[in-house]
Amino acid sequence: MSQQQLFPVTVVGSWPRPSYLIQALRRRQAGEISFEEFQSVADRAVLEALRAQEEAGVDILTDGEQRRDNFYSFVVEKLGGMRLMKVSELMDYMKDRARYEEVLRALDVPAFAIKSPIVVEKLREKQGLSLDEIDFVKKNTKRQVKVPLPGPYMLTRSSYFEGLSDKAYASPEALAADVIQILRKEILALKARGVDFIQLDEPTLSQIIYGAESTETFMCAALPNRRDPSEELALAVKWMNETVAGIDGVRFGVHICRGNWSRKEEVLLKGNYGPMLPYLMEMNIHQLVLEFATPRAGELEVFKEYRNEKEIGFGVVNPRTDEIETSETIASRVRQLAAFYDPEKIFLNPDCGFGTFAERNVNNADTAKRKLQAISAAAEKLRAEFAGTRSESARAH
Amino acid sequence: MSEQASKAPEKLNGLHPAKIEEIMCSMKQPEVLKDVSGPWKSRIVWQDGFRVKAYMRNHAVEMDEPGALDATDKAASAHEQLLSAIGSCLTVGFVLNATRRGIKIHDLEIALEAYFDNILKWAGQSDTGNPGYRGITAKLFVKADADEATLRELWRLAYEGSPVTQSVVRGTPVNTEMEVV
Repeated sequence: MSQQQLFPVTVVGSWPRPSYLIQALRRRQAGEISFEEFQSVADRAVLEALRAQEEAGVDILTDGEQRRDNFYSFVVEKLGGMRLMKVSELMDYMKDRARYEEVLRALDVPAFAIKSPIVVEKLREKQGLSLDEIDFVKKNTKRQVKVPLPGPYMLTRSSYFEGLSDKAYASPEALAADVIQILRKEILALKARGVDFIQLDEPTLSQIIYGAESTETFMCAALPNRRDPSEELALAVKWMNETVAGIDGVRFGVHICRGNWSRKEEVLLKGNYGPMLPYLMEMNIHQLVLEFATPRAGELEVFKEYRNEKEIGFGVVNPRTDEIETSETIASRVRQLAAFYDPEKIFLNPDCGFGTFAERNVNNADTAKRKLQAISAAAEKLRAEFAGTRSESARAH
Repeated sequence: MSEQASKAPEKLNGLHPAKIEEIMCSMKQPEVLKDVSGPWKSRIVWQDGFRVKAYMRNHAVEMDEPGALDATDKAASAHEQLLSAIGSCLTVGFVLNATRRGIKIHDLEIALEAYFDNILKWAGQSDTGNPGYRGITAKLFVKADADEATLRELWRLAYEGSPVTQSVVRGTPVNTEMEVV
């Protein structure tokens, strides 16, 4: 894994999609343009996203997920056996439609706006999940790169829909076995391409812990079927560890947040990380990429019990606001964590992406860039303050 | 035929714009108008408990009440289906007007909601008030190839032209009769 300077600045994944890209995505999904035609439009958007991140001083970049419909649904283009289905298309297969209706009402969204990749046949690998993305990025930046991938738990749970998926897989566990193999192969292929930071997105774990009857995040169509939280978290740990087992030389991050589809804070989930941490510590990963920029994330103190066990990708700006956080506000927040956490284990990032869902940018590119600039300025300040810490920490180790 | 309709594709929104235009224009003819004006009919046949079946032309729809009312909950209740009838009629109007203007609709949903004014009257626990809905909200979600102002105009036309919605809005009288057999 790459050696990092203190407080590396990175992003969670998505960058706001420009309107020309959204138009092209719609045309792609309507079958009006080919995958290759869409890719050439997306190339331009990726370059813009890379340049914006570089200019903002980001140390570890992503391609802004510009080629993706969203952070997990994009796999339908990359795997055989899946269909991107709207919740409105799934309604005929739902066992508890009334519950879905409550969720839609609570979120004030139409069923056609929520899409999930649904397994309808045995999964078939095609050209890799993100290899086209990384090949392009590597050619167009010299900086370190992070690749976000859907985590095994979310990908399995979000794509298994009874009535459709059970024709190919008898159970979600049977599907998970294939998902894990696909992810492992992807990770090894990324490693071979020189990627040493892979972020596995598992935001739905928040939904398991904090989602109430009618305040689900609805990140995945299949999730409103409520399950026992401790069993689900244990399953998430098991599947994650099977995914990364025996693979070294790659920094694995797990990203968890509480929803990023709306600027209305009141409709997003809230609660501290306490109930989740015992499980997250069991995951054989290096970094927890977490949101901390809003009170909804709860108290930092819950990490004292687990201090320094994992790196923290510390969410220091809210991606959903117009207001730009000051570098001093950011630095001050980091100091609170660094008071009991090894500064070498702290990375800085926004709480989440700036456009998790292609058609629901939560911010514009200008504001996103200015927020990243504020993080970079805070990082500079903190590096100067903590300059002596690194050697002390190294000696202590 | 309008200029827009004459340029319309053979099929749009699952409809044939030229044919739709022809049908709409033909409705001005007295004999066609007479036919489409009515009578529209429904026959309700009680099944058991609160369950009924409604027969309309060659179609049948079941209705029931929720289990909390000692019913079998095999189908939506009549008052829920009233909401659905309003939403469906608004949808038809929106699609009609969009298609006549050559506007492609990608997705459309209407979420309706209502509260009873005084359901105690239905329950025989109150002699006064309105057991019906005190108001109905209908929220349209639409993704279509037109600007927002145009879509808002279509929504207005759908509402004002909706036979079901206007029957409710205008308080159409229901004349009741009875025969014991």
